[in-house]
Amino acid sequence: MSKQVNLSVGIQDNLREITVEIPDEAPRPWDGTDKLKYIGGRVSRVDGQEKTTGRAKFSSDIQLPGMLYARFLRSPQPAAVVKSIDISKAESAPGVKAILLVQEKLPMIVRFVGQEILAVAAETRQQADDALKLIEVVYRERPFVTKTDEARRADSPVVFEQAVEEKKSEGDLPGAAATAGQNGNVRGPQIRPKGGAPDKVDAALAGSDAVVEATYRTQVQTHSAMETHGVVAQWQDLNHLTVWASTQGTFTVRDELAEVFEMPKSQIRVLTKHMGGGFGAKFGAGIYGVMAAKLARQANAPVRLMLDRKEEHLCVGNRPDSTQKLKVGANSDGKLTALKLLAYGTAGVGTGAGVSGPARNIYEIEHIYSEESDVFTNAGPGAAFRAPGHPQGAFALEQAIDELAYKLKIDPLAFRKTNTSKNEIRQVQYKLAAAKANWAKRNSRPAADSGPIKRGMGVANSVWYYFYGTGFQASIQVNSDGSVEPTNGVQDIGGGITTIIAMVVAEELGLKPTDIRVTIGDSDLGFGPASGGSQTTAGITPAVRDAAYRARMRMFDIAAPLLGVSAEQLRADEGRIFAKEDKNKSLTWKQVASKMPGDKFTIVGERFKDHIQTKPRTIAGVQVAEVEVDTETGVVRVERVVAVHDCGRPLDRLTLESQINGGIIQGISYALFEDRILDRNTGIMVNANLEQYKIAGSLDVPKIESVILDVNHGQSSTGAIGIGEPATVPTAAAIANAVFHATGARVRELPMTPDRVLSALEYKEGGTS
Amino acid sequence: MIGGIRFLLNDSDVLTDVAPGTLALDFLRRDKRLVGTKEGCKEGDCGACVVLVGELFAGGVEYHPVTSCLLPLGELHGKHLVTIEGLNRHALSPVQQAIVDTGGSQCGFCTPGIVMSLTGFLLDPETRKDARGCKNALGGNLCRCTGYASLIRAGRQVLQKIGGNNIFTNEFSENATVQMLIEQQVLPAYFQSIPARLKNIPAKVQRRDRATPYCLVAGGTDLYVQKGDALANLNVHLLSRQSGLKQIKLSEKRVHIGPLTTFEAFARHPIINQSIPDIQKYSHYNASWQVRNRATIGGNIINASPIGDMTALLLALESDLVFRAGRKQRTVALKSFFTGYKLFDKAADEILTDVIFPVPDAGSKINFEKVSKRQTLDIATVNSGIKIVADGALIRKVELSMGGVAPIPLFLKKTCDFLRNKRVMPEYILQANDIAQSEISPISDVRGSSEYKRLLVRQLLIAHFTKLFPELIQVRAFYEAH
Repeated sequence: MSKQVNLSVGIQDNLREITVEIPDEAPRPWDGTDKLKYIGGRVSRVDGQEKTTGRAKFSSDIQLPGMLYARFLRSPQPAAVVKSIDISKAESAPGVKAILLVQEKLPMIVRFVGQEILAVAAETRQQADDALKLIEVVYRERPFVTKTDEARRADSPVVFEQAVEEKKSEGDLPGAAATAGQNGNVRGPQIRPKGGAPDKVDAALAGSDAVVEATYRTQVQTHSAMETHGVVAQWQDLNHLTVWASTQGTFTVRDELAEVFEMPKSQIRVLTKHMGGGFGAKFGAGIYGVMAAKLARQANAPVRLMLDRKEEHLCVGNRPDSTQKLKVGANSDGKLTALKLLAYGTAGVGTGAGVSGPARNIYEIEHIYSEESDVFTNAGPGAAFRAPGHPQGAFALEQAIDELAYKLKIDPLAFRKTNTSKNEIRQVQYKLAAAKANWAKRNSRPAADSGPIKRGMGVANSVWYYFYGTGFQASIQVNSDGSVEPTNGVQDIGGGITTIIAMVVAEELGLKPTDIRVTIGDSDLGFGPASGGSQTTAGITPAVRDAAYRARMRMFDIAAPLLGVSAEQLRADEGRIFAKEDKNKSLTWKQVASKMPGDKFTIVGERFKDHIQTKPRTIAGVQVAEVEVDTETGVVRVERVVAVHDCGRPLDRLTLESQINGGIIQGISYALFEDRILDRNTGIMVNANLEQYKIAGSLDVPKIESVILDVNHGQSSTGAIGIGEPATVPTAAAIANAVFHATGARVRELPMTPDRVLSALEYKEGGTS
Repeated sequence: MIGGIRFLLNDSDVLTDVAPGTLALDFLRRDKRLVGTKEGCKEGDCGACVVLVGELFAGGVEYHPVTSCLLPLGELHGKHLVTIEGLNRHALSPVQQAIVDTGGSQCGFCTPGIVMSLTGFLLDPETRKDARGCKNALGGNLCRCTGYASLIRAGRQVLQKIGGNNIFTNEFSENATVQMLIEQQVLPAYFQSIPARLKNIPAKVQRRDRATPYCLVAGGTDLYVQKGDALANLNVHLLSRQSGLKQIKLSEKRVHIGPLTTFEAFARHPIINQSIPDIQKYSHYNASWQVRNRATIGGNIINASPIGDMTALLLALESDLVFRAGRKQRTVALKSFFTGYKLFDKAADEILTDVIFPVPDAGSKINFEKVSKRQTLDIATVNSGIKIVADGALIRKVELSMGGVAPIPLFLKKTCDFLRNKRVMPEYILQANDIAQSEISPISDVRGSSEYKRLLVRQLLIAHFTKLFPELIQVRAFYEAH
C-alpha cells in the first residue's frame, strides 16, 4: 500500500509544492517547511571524546595476543621479470614465522617500482624488515617508460602485453567499453559525441565568433591520507576470518576477501571502528589485505600489515595525470556553440584517467565531442580520488571558458550565467557567490595592479552527481531500559556518519543525539554503503530514518493504551511520548519502553529507490578564489575562497562546513603543491615522503567562506545528498583563473609552482611585446 | 647508557634499558602500548605523533611539543614525556572540548597530535601571545580532512576561554603557567608534582663505548629522517648528554652559540634578537615549531645540506666554527668549512663545540630570504642571507650567502668584493647579479629547474637591497627595467 504526500521542495526561500507517492510504512519525507531540532543544526560529533582523547582505535592500533608484523619486499625495478627468489636465509632469521610470494609461480612480471614481490611475517616489525634484507631476488630488467607522452609513442616499451581489465570504481572513465581498443600502451579512446556526428562539432567550432584552443596538463596526486593502508588479520578457525581494516568499504573488503579465499561472505568479518582517511583509495582488500590473511593462516597467528608512508605514495593509488586538448567556441551573443575535448592521462598500471565529466555536464552546449584514453606507464596504479577526473577536467574547462569570456569581452561570471541558464540552482549560486566575494568591485581588466605583488579574483564551476545505492539495512534496537541502539555495517571515513545516524534517530524519536548509541563499522551488521561517490549519507540515512520511524510507531502502540488515546494522536519530543491535544497525557520514553513485551525489540529499515527518480542528477557548485601573486618569485598565495554548493538538505552544518573546508584545502594543495615526481631514468619516485611531497598546512589556509545552499530535493525521506567530492572540484580552476586575473598570464599546467608561474609570465611578456 | 634511561611518562616513572637511539614513538606504541600517539610519516612532517617534552629549568618545567618519530629515547632521561593519554583524567580538557565543538576532528587520526600541539601552544609564552600563534602552533600538524579552519578556531576559542592573550601578558613563570592550566583543567593535577619528581632523577652522562662504532646525534631531525629505523640499533651517542653545548653568550663582542642550541631557543634568545632583529620572522620560515624544538644549530651545519637555512644565515654573519678533539682545539671559518657535497673540513674525532660570529656593527643591516612552495615546513628552493655595512648609500662591506645553488652552502665572495664601495643603485645590483650568476652552479631537482634557481638568485638579491634600503631603492626600479 502506498500513500500520497505533499512536499515543499526547491531552493530555500523559494519553495514549490509537489506530490509524491511513498509506502504506507514510510515516514513523510522532511521538506522545506519542517522545523527540525537537530537536523540542519550544528551538532558536534558523538565520537568526539574518543577521538580527542586518543582512545579511538584505528587498525594500526589493534593489538592481539601473539600478533605478528608483516612487511613487503617490493620491486626496485620499474619493469623486470623475476627469475628467481631465494628466501632460505630469511626463513631462518630470528622471529620469522612465514614468508609468502605474491605470485606463487615464477617467472613473475614486475611493472612498477614498489610492486609487491613477497611478504614476511615476523615477531617484530624490525625482524620482518631485517629478514627482507636477506632475500635474494634475481630480476631480468626490461625496458620501461614513466612519461605519459613517451608511452604513447609507437616505439615505446609496452607495459602490458594483454588487454587490461577495468577495475571498477565510481565515476571512472573511460569505462569498460574502452578495453577493446588497446593499442600499445594506449587504452581507448572512449568517444562520446553529443549533438550529432563529430564533424558537426568541427563545423560548429569553425562557424563560431570566438574559439579558444589550448592544451592543459595536470599532475599525478597521491591520496596521502594520514593513516596509511593496512589491516590486522586473524583466523578464528580455518573457516572464519576477521580483518580490522583501514577502509572506506567494510563490505567491499569482505567481498574481495571472500572471492580470493573462496569462502562464503558470512564467514568473513571486517571491522572498521575508525579509519584515518581514504579519499577513494581504500575500497578493496588490497594485496596487503590478502597477503596479511594468507600469512596469518600460514603462521597460525594474527598478522598486522600496515604500509609506511613511502609505500603509500608508490603503490596504493593516485589521481592520474592528464593532458587535455580543449577547443571551445562561442558566439558574440555570449552563447557557447561547441566543445571538443581530446584527453589522455596515465593511471600507471591502472585505469581510469578520463576527465570529461565537467566538459559534458556543466554547460548548455549543443555540440560536444570528447575522446579520452588511458595510457599505461610503469608506475603505481591510479585509484578513485575524490571526484575522479573532475578537478582535472574543471581545471581545463573552466580556464577555457574564462579565456573565451575575456576574448568576447564578457564578464566571466556573466558568461557562465548565460550558458547555464536552465539551471535554477546555479543561477542562485552565482548571485550568492558574487555578493559574498564582492565580484562587482573586481577590476574587469586583468593585471591591473601596478608593482610586483598582484592580486586577482577568479571563478570556477563545480559539478558532481547524485549517487546512492539501495538495499542498505539499518537496525534499531530499543531496549526495555529505554536505550536506543542503531547499527549498520558502514564505516565512518571521517564525514561523520556516526553522528548523522544519531541525529536522524534522535530527531525521529524525540531524543537527544547523545542518547543514541550508534554501532557501525562491522560487516556482520546490516549492509551499508562504501564511502564513494559522496553517497554515504544519502545512502544510509533514509534506511535509518525508516527504521526509527517504525520504532516510534511501535512505541506509540505501546503507549496508546497506557495513555488512553489512539496511537495516531501521539507525538514524541524531549524524551517524552504524549498526546498532541493533551500534553498532560504523557509518559517518558523510558516509562513506555519499560512496558514493552519482552526485553527489547529490533526494527530493520531498508534503503529503497528514491520516490522521485529524476532529481537531482547533477550537483552544482561554484567557487571564487582570490590570490596574491609575487611576480618577482612566482609564488602564489591564496587569500580567500568563497564557496557556494548545493548541499541538498543539510543534516549537520558543522561537519558539512568542515567537509567543504577540507575539499577546498585539498584543492589548493593540488593547485600549488602536490606532485608525484618519477625519475625517468630509474622509474623511482623521488619524493615518496611528506618532506618533499608537500601537502597544504595550517599556514597555507586562506579565509574560507562557504555559503551552504539548502535545497530540498525531496527525493528521499532525509533529502540528503553528498558534499565530500563537489567541494574539491573547482578550486584549482578558480585559483588558475585568479592568477590570470592578477597577472594576465595563463598557467595551464598543475601544480602552479613558482617557476611555472614565472615562465607563464615570461611567455605572456614575450607574446605581447 | 649505563643504568638505563629514567624519565616520567605522563604520571608514571619509567626506567628502561632499551637502546637510547630507539625512537620515542616506537617505545610508546610498541613497548608501552600507548597507541594514542599515531605514526603518520615517521619523518617529522605530519605531526600525528606530537608529544610534549618537559624539562627542568630554574622557573619550573618548560614544555615543548616535538615529533616523537624523530626523538631518541635517550634524550628523555630526567625529563617529562607527555602523551595524549597523560592529558585528561575525567573530563575532556578545554582543548579537546574546543576541537569537538568546532568540528575539528573528522577521521580523527591526526587529532591526538593536534591536541598536543594546541596544549603546547597554551603552555608556551611566546607562541600564545602571538596573533598568528595558533596557526604557527599547528604548523607541524597535517590534517587531510578538515581544512584546518575549525582547528584554528578551536585554538583561539580555548585561549579565549581561559582568559585570552591578556592573561599571559605579565611574565608568567613556568610554574605559574602550569598552575593556571591545572586550574583551567587543561592539564591534570599531577603536573604539580612533576618538578619535584624530576629533581629526584640523577643526571647521567652517557659514556661513549669506543670499542663499537657509534653515531653522533645532535637534534636528529634530519638524521632520523635519513637513517630512520637503522639508528635504533646503532650505538647512538647523544650529544645533548654533554653539558655546556647549549648556551648562548656574549664575549668580547662576539656571540658564542653552543651548537646544541635548538632553532627555537636560538630565535628566542635576547642576545640573538639583538644581533639579528628579525630572527623570529626568519625562524618561522624554517621547519615547524615541533621540529625547531629539536633541530640544532650545530646539526644544521654538520648536516652540510647545501640548502640549510641556518647555515645560510650564519654564513652571512661571518661565523667561525670551533672544533675539539681531546685537548686539541681548532677554529675554521664557516666560509671555508664546506669542501664539496656533504663534505667538510672536520676530522672524524672532532666535535663542534662553538659557533661564533662577531656582534654586527651598529650600522649593519641583516636580511634572510627563502623561497619555497609551502610557507613553512618546506625545504627552500633558494635561500640567502646578507649582512651589509653601509654609509648612507655607500656600501662599505657585504657578506652574501646563497643556498640551493651549488653543492655546498655558498658564500659569494666575488659578488661581495664587487659590491664593496659601490653605491646602492639598481645598475650595480644587476651587475652584482651577473657576477653571482658566475659563482653559482644550480641543478634542476624537485624544488625547481636550474633556470628558475638562477632567476631566484637575482630576485633574492634585489629583495635584500629593496628591503634593507627602502628609502634608496624600490622593487619598481627593477621591475620596470625588467
